[in-house]
Amino acid sequence: MITILGVLAPAEHAMAQANDALAYETVEPSRIKLGESATLRVTSFGHLKDVALPSVPGLVFEKMGRSQGLEFANGTAIPASFVLIRITPQFAGVFSIPGLTPTSPATELEVVNGDEPNAYTGRSQRPAQLPVASTSLPKGVQLQAGGAAFLHLAAPARAIYVGESVPVEIELGLRPGIVTSVNGLPTLNGSDFTLSNLSKQPARREQAFEGSIFVVLTWHSTLAAVKPGDYSLSAETPIAVKIGALSEADRAFASILTRPFLQIMYSGIAPKDITIGSSLSELKVLPLPTEGQPRNFSGAVGDFQVLSDIFPATVMAGDPLTLRLHIRGVGNFDRVDSTMFDHLDHWKTYPAKSSFTPSDAVGYRGEKVFEQPLIAARAGEQLIPGLEFNYFNPGTRRYERAQTAPIKVMIAASLASGSLNALSGGQSPIGAPTTGSTEGLRPDHPRPQNSVSDLRPLYFRVPFLGIPTTLALILAGSWFAMRPSAARATSKATERVLARLDAAARAGDSSSFFEIARKTLLQTFAARWQMPADQITFAELKARLGIMGEDVDRLFALADEAMYSDYQPGDTDFQRWLRLIRGQLSGDGE
Amino acid sequence: MLIAGLALWAGQAFAQPSKPPYSVDGLYNLANSYARSGKPGLAVLSYERAALLAPDDPDINANLAYVRASAHVSVKPRNRFVRLAEAASPTSAAWLGVLGIALVGIGLVARWVAPRFLWIPGGGILLGVALIALTASNAMLLWPRMREAVVLIDQTPARVSPASMGDTAFVLREAESVTMTAEHEEFILIRTDGGLSGWVARSNLGAVVPQVAGER
Repeated sequence: MITILGVLAPAEHAMAQANDALAYETVEPSRIKLGESATLRVTSFGHLKDVALPSVPGLVFEKMGRSQGLEFANGTAIPASFVLIRITPQFAGVFSIPGLTPTSPATELEVVNGDEPNAYTGRSQRPAQLPVASTSLPKGVQLQAGGAAFLHLAAPARAIYVGESVPVEIELGLRPGIVTSVNGLPTLNGSDFTLSNLSKQPARREQAFEGSIFVVLTWHSTLAAVKPGDYSLSAETPIAVKIGALSEADRAFASILTRPFLQIMYSGIAPKDITIGSSLSELKVLPLPTEGQPRNFSGAVGDFQVLSDIFPATVMAGDPLTLRLHIRGVGNFDRVDSTMFDHLDHWKTYPAKSSFTPSDAVGYRGEKVFEQPLIAARAGEQLIPGLEFNYFNPGTRRYERAQTAPIKVMIAASLASGSLNALSGGQSPIGAPTTGSTEGLRPDHPRPQNSVSDLRPLYFRVPFLGIPTTLALILAGSWFAMRPSAARATSKATERVLARLDAAARAGDSSSFFEIARKTLLQTFAARWQMPADQITFAELKARLGIMGEDVDRLFALADEAMYSDYQPGDTDFQRWLRLIRGQLSGDGE
Repeated sequence: MLIAGLALWAGQAFAQPSKPPYSVDGLYNLANSYARSGKPGLAVLSYERAALLAPDDPDINANLAYVRASAHVSVKPRNRFVRLAEAASPTSAAWLGVLGIALVGIGLVARWVAPRFLWIPGGGILLGVALIALTASNAMLLWPRMREAVVLIDQTPARVSPASMGDTAFVLREAESVTMTAEHEEFILIRTDGGLSGWVARSNLGAVVPQVAGER
C-alpha cells in the first residue's frame, strides 16, 4: 500500500458523502510545475458514491471520472473503487489537500516554478524528507489570516520596574505559499514601552504547528517601561496574504475552464495586505522606590560593575590625558549615564563622550565606556578621585553603589616653565611666585603715569579718523576756493595798472600816465575785440564804443601831446581819465 | 567741523571709564612679574602689549627677546625698514599723519596765495607727504599685529576642527605668537609663522589687542 503522510491543515473542505470506513487519497505526481496538472485519486475499499470537490485556495479541482478495480495489499487483491480528480494549481507553493472522506488523511501537492528542478523527477530520486514533528501552538496564540499566520509576543510574566530592560521574543509564523510577504517589522502597541531596534534579519526556522508547516521568524529584543502601571502588551506586524475573492459558483465555473491560463485569469486570487496582532500579555510595571535613592542617582537599572583607568600613564603639565570609566553588566544601558568630573582642582576638564559595546545581540549585556580628557595645570604627583556610579538592581530590589579607586598620576614639568625656573635659580613649581629679579631680565620701570584705555593705535580707531578727514575736507574746500581763475587774474592785473596810473597821476607824470593808459586800453581792446592793437582806429573805437570811443581817441591823442608837448592835465582831468580807464578795463564802458 | 571731530574723539577716548587702563610701564612691570613667576606666555603677551604703545623701548624689546629665548620660541627678525617705520609710537605716528595732511593742504593753498614763494609751500607739501607716508607705513606694519595672539599654555593642541574632541593637527609651545584668522564659538583658527593652521581653544590664547566687546 502506498501511503502518503500528510499534514493536517485547517483548510475548507466538504465532508464526503461516502459511508465507507476505509479510504485514502493519493496525488500523482506530488510535485509538479506551475501550468501542469496532477491527479488526485480517491481509493475506497467500499462503495464510494461520490465525493465533493475540496476547496483549497490556489488549486482548481475537476472530476475526471470514477472506476472500479482491485487494489493489492500484502499480495491480496481487494476490490476497490476509485474517483479521479484533476488538480490544476494557480500559483506555486505547497498545498495541503484535505481528506475527501471521513477516514482519509490529507495529502500534499508541491507546485514549483519553471526554473526549478524537473518536476517529473520521481519521488524516489528526491531526498527523503524527514518527518516534521507537529506541535501545538504556544498557549494563547491564535492563527490568523485564515490560518496562514500567527504572531506571538513572549513577554516576562513577572512584574518589572520602570527603566528595567527585560529580554523579549517576538515570533511570526507564516505559511509559505499563502503569505506572500512581510511588509514591516513587528511593533508594540502603546507608547509606554520602548523596544530596542529589531534586526531586519531575524532567526528563521521551519516548524509544524497542528499539522501545517510554518516558517517561523524570531526577533530577540529588550523591552523597557517608561512609567509605572498595569499594561496589556501586544505586538502587530503587516503582512500580505493571498485570499480567494470568488464565490462558490464562480469557483465551480473556474474549475471547468480547460486552459490553465484561463483558470489563472479567472482564479480570483489576489494578494491582500493585512495586519496581524498577538494576543494580549498582562504586564505590571512598578515604580522605582524612593526610599534609599541616592542623591546623584541618574536612573540606571540593572546589575553593573565599574572600573576606571587613565591613558597615558605619565604626561607633562599641559598635556591631555584621558580618564576612562568602564561600566559592565546587564541592564538598560540607555539609562547608564555619567557626567564624570564637572570640575577638578588643578585640572582642566572637558566634556566626556561615551560608547557602548554589547555582549549579546540585543544589547542587554555589554560594556559602556565613558572617556573624559583632562589637562593637568601643574606638575607633580596628582590624585584623580574615584568615580561613583549609583544604580537600582531589580534583582535585589535596592539601590547599589559602585565606586572606582582613586588614580595617582605623575605630571612632569613642561620645558618652558623649567627653563624660566632654572634661570630664576629657584625650584618652585609652576605658578608659585619667586622673589628677587630674574637674571637676564631688565629691572622694572618706575611708577607708571600715562595710560590709555585701548591698545589699538589711534589711526585704527574710527573716532580719531574723523580728525584727518575733517581737516582734509577743509583744506580741499579751501583749495577749490583759492584756485586762480581767469577773471581773478584779470582783475589783479587791472588793479596793478590802476595803481600805476594812480601813482603817475599823483606824481603829475602825465606822459607816463597817458602812455600807460593808452597801452593798457589798446591791449584790453585788442584782447576783447580779437584784433591787433595797431589796427584799432578811431572809426573802430567809435563803432564799438559809441560816444565813449571819442573820449578814448582823445586820450590817445593826449598821450602823444603829453609825450611831445609836455601836456599837464589837472587833477580833475586825471580823475576823469582814471574813471574812463577804469570803466573800459572792467568792461562797463561798452 | 575740525572742532566737532576733536570733540567726538575726546568723547570716545574718555567714554569708557570701566575698561582697564593700559600703560607702557604698567604692562612692562606686569610682564616682568609673569616672567619671574615662570609664566612665559603671559609675560610675552604683556611685553607685546607694552611694545604696541612703545615699540622702541629697549627694555621691553630686550626682555621680550630674553623670555622668548628662554621659552625656546623663535621670532622673525625685523629688517631696517621695519625698525624705521616702527621707530615712532603709533600715537605719535597718528598725529604726525594729521600734521602731514595739514602741511600738504596748506602748501597747496599757499601756492595760490603767495606764488612768489613757491619753495615754501613746496617744501611743506614734501614734508607733509613724508609724514603721511611714515604714518601709513606704521599702520601697515602694525595692522597684522591687531590679529596676533600669544599661546598661554604649553603644548596647546591645535585641532583640525573647532571641537574639543577633534584630532590634534600639531602642538603649540607656550609664548609662541600666532595669527588669528577666524573664530567659531569657543575656538579660534590660528596660523603660525610656519604657515600651519589649526583650531585652538580661546582660553588657551591671549590676543595682543583685546577686541572691543561690540566688535566680536
